[in-house]
Amino acid sequence: MRNGWPPTLAVPDGGYLLGGETETENEKPSGLFRWVTSVDHKDIGIMYIVFATATALWGGTDAMMIRTELLTPGAGPWDPVTYNALFTTHGLTMLLFFVTPAFTGIGNYFLPLLLGADDMAYPRINAIAFWILPPAYLLVRAGLITEIIAKALAVIGFSITSLFALQPPGTGWTMYTPLTTQMVNPQIDLMLLGLHLSGIATLLAAINFIVTIFTERSDDVSWSTLDIFSWTMLTTSGLILFAFPLLGSALIMLLLDRNFGTTFFTVDGGGPLLWQHLFWFFGHPEVYILVLPAFGLVSLILPKFSGRKLFGFKFIVYSTLAIGVLSFGVWAHHMFTTGIDPRIRASFMAVSVAIAIPSAVKTFNWMTTMWEGHIRLTAPMLFCIGGIGTFIIGGVTGVFLAAIPIDLLYHDTYYVVGHFHFIVVGIITFAAFAASYYWYPLLTGRMYDQLLAKVHAWLSIVGTVIAFGLMLINGALGLPRRYATYPEQFASLQQMMTIGAFLIFAGVIIWLYNMIQSYRIGPVVMDADVWNLKSIDQFTREWQWFEERLEERRRKIRGE
Amino acid sequence: MEDYVGMAKMNRPSSAIAGGIAGTAILSLLMILLEVQTRSQVHIFDAIARFVGLPNNILIGFVLFVAAGVFAWPLLFIALEPYIPRGPDPAARGIVFAFVLWLAFVIAGRGSIGWPLIIVYAGLTLLAHLAYGFTLGAVYASLREENVADTA
Repeated sequence: MRNGWPPTLAVPDGGYLLGGETETENEKPSGLFRWVTSVDHKDIGIMYIVFATATALWGGTDAMMIRTELLTPGAGPWDPVTYNALFTTHGLTMLLFFVTPAFTGIGNYFLPLLLGADDMAYPRINAIAFWILPPAYLLVRAGLITEIIAKALAVIGFSITSLFALQPPGTGWTMYTPLTTQMVNPQIDLMLLGLHLSGIATLLAAINFIVTIFTERSDDVSWSTLDIFSWTMLTTSGLILFAFPLLGSALIMLLLDRNFGTTFFTVDGGGPLLWQHLFWFFGHPEVYILVLPAFGLVSLILPKFSGRKLFGFKFIVYSTLAIGVLSFGVWAHHMFTTGIDPRIRASFMAVSVAIAIPSAVKTFNWMTTMWEGHIRLTAPMLFCIGGIGTFIIGGVTGVFLAAIPIDLLYHDTYYVVGHFHFIVVGIITFAAFAASYYWYPLLTGRMYDQLLAKVHAWLSIVGTVIAFGLMLINGALGLPRRYATYPEQFASLQQMMTIGAFLIFAGVIIWLYNMIQSYRIGPVVMDADVWNLKSIDQFTREWQWFEERLEERRRKIRGE
Repeated sequence: MEDYVGMAKMNRPSSAIAGGIAGTAILSLLMILLEVQTRSQVHIFDAIARFVGLPNNILIGFVLFVAAGVFAWPLLFIALEPYIPRGPDPAARGIVFAFVLWLAFVIAGRGSIGWPLIIVYAGLTLLAHLAYGFTLGAVYASLREENVADTA
């Protein structure tokens, strides 16, 4: 089906073999066996991306169900217990099993190409890090899996009631104690173990990125010529190195509290606030772990379609590093309403407001990059520009929330949900989509359907503004979050939000169709300079690699 | 093409049935996921039983559903293929074909599902059917002797 792609002969891409290993290991095995045994960074990158897509669709289904529940003010079609489980699994899935693996996958595929490295520093650890993730996700979702088995058996007449013991967890993604300590559902223990496992996977990948960037750069890539995406991945990995071990420890403590009678988070022990401190010391850097690669992708892709070099490259790097450092000093702004000491609150307010400065530096640099540029509104560019716009809304509302008096009013309302979705969907997911279109020809050797891609971009931008803009309004009007029911007067706003969310979902389906169908029968790429980057002197290293590969294939076909 | 060198090409009915097996597997998986994910609110197996005209017999209903998905629809698909729009790619045609099947399904299987659950029911069963049609067409296209998609 795939005309001329991949080439008939498996091409040894070299590098990950040690001297003395046998010739036969040079060629990848074919079929399924290739994927389960591969230690090639490109294969692993693709597996990460496929995994992230699958989890995103699952987490997206959660989101659509949440929005359906909220179409009517009363509870239904799902009961409040299911509703609690829905926003719990939606949050955990999207943050830890969609965005993190998606960017790890993009980094895995492209970092070695951008650095001129043969592979990641530790190819086998790379494979292990990926293969930990699917079981981790299955643990978090275990209740549904056992239920599928039970239902399937029920259809053919077997009924095993114990398979229904695991209920989807309704703790909220922040897993606040004492609620999480006291819930009896055994699925919560599996969820905690799964999250811990995913943290290990993330940590392994981050260590690999750090060592790769430090030691595997080719001779002509110095720190001063390191590309912007690698800089952000390096900073992100640094954050992971400090944040995730803490999450792991806190999760273990919570597990011990639940199962072995320890009192880390009980009132007579450390108290429920201890969990919040530990969780948010991880949780807030985690937000930047998610957003920094997205910033890097926007910084990388935007200049390509602006016809100009990235404005203020150095300041983008400095602001990335500044965000990396400051991100560890903002966690208590999640706890302004818990009654912690006002002096602590004030200092965390100062740092939280200050982190807006490096973020704004980036935004202004992006706008200046486009200034008087030759703008080409391709799908990746639409996603970058739309992402900058929605990030500004998300960022400015974040400044408001960082101010203690405003936060006291808006805490636990839809305003907060609107704020972080403008960032998590508005720039993080948009940047991932931009990358998926920008590098699609390189990844698949084919071109995608550009019209469908633009439809997808516009549906996403409009849907995001409707769905999450109205959340800001609902929150400002005082509607609390996390409730399955709400007063009648919010019904029409809620319904409009749901329409916005459905628009985003429709866009995602179009994206999925475009990716699969173009992979089958899209036009074959003959010239590596798909985006006319040579004319603006931005034909970067990964595209040069692609050009060499196309040339190599031509030589093979000619029989040289 | 290179991917399939060495793989025996099949005649049109066999490759359509192979496509039907793959498509039905995906459709069933998505339907079960839908049922479990929505916490049994949709009663998809009842909907399937209603669709095949046996409202009270889920097991036989499911067997008929699989039989239709594996044999009846794929064979109907290759009979109608030249007349289905969005060709020549069979996968694109499969999507159109499955959309018509979904119309029948969503009307015949609706039962007592009301607002707002009907949105989830209609939306997710539509996606499951489109995935069925696409898979049916794509597998069929890659297995049969003459290969239209390559010249598309």
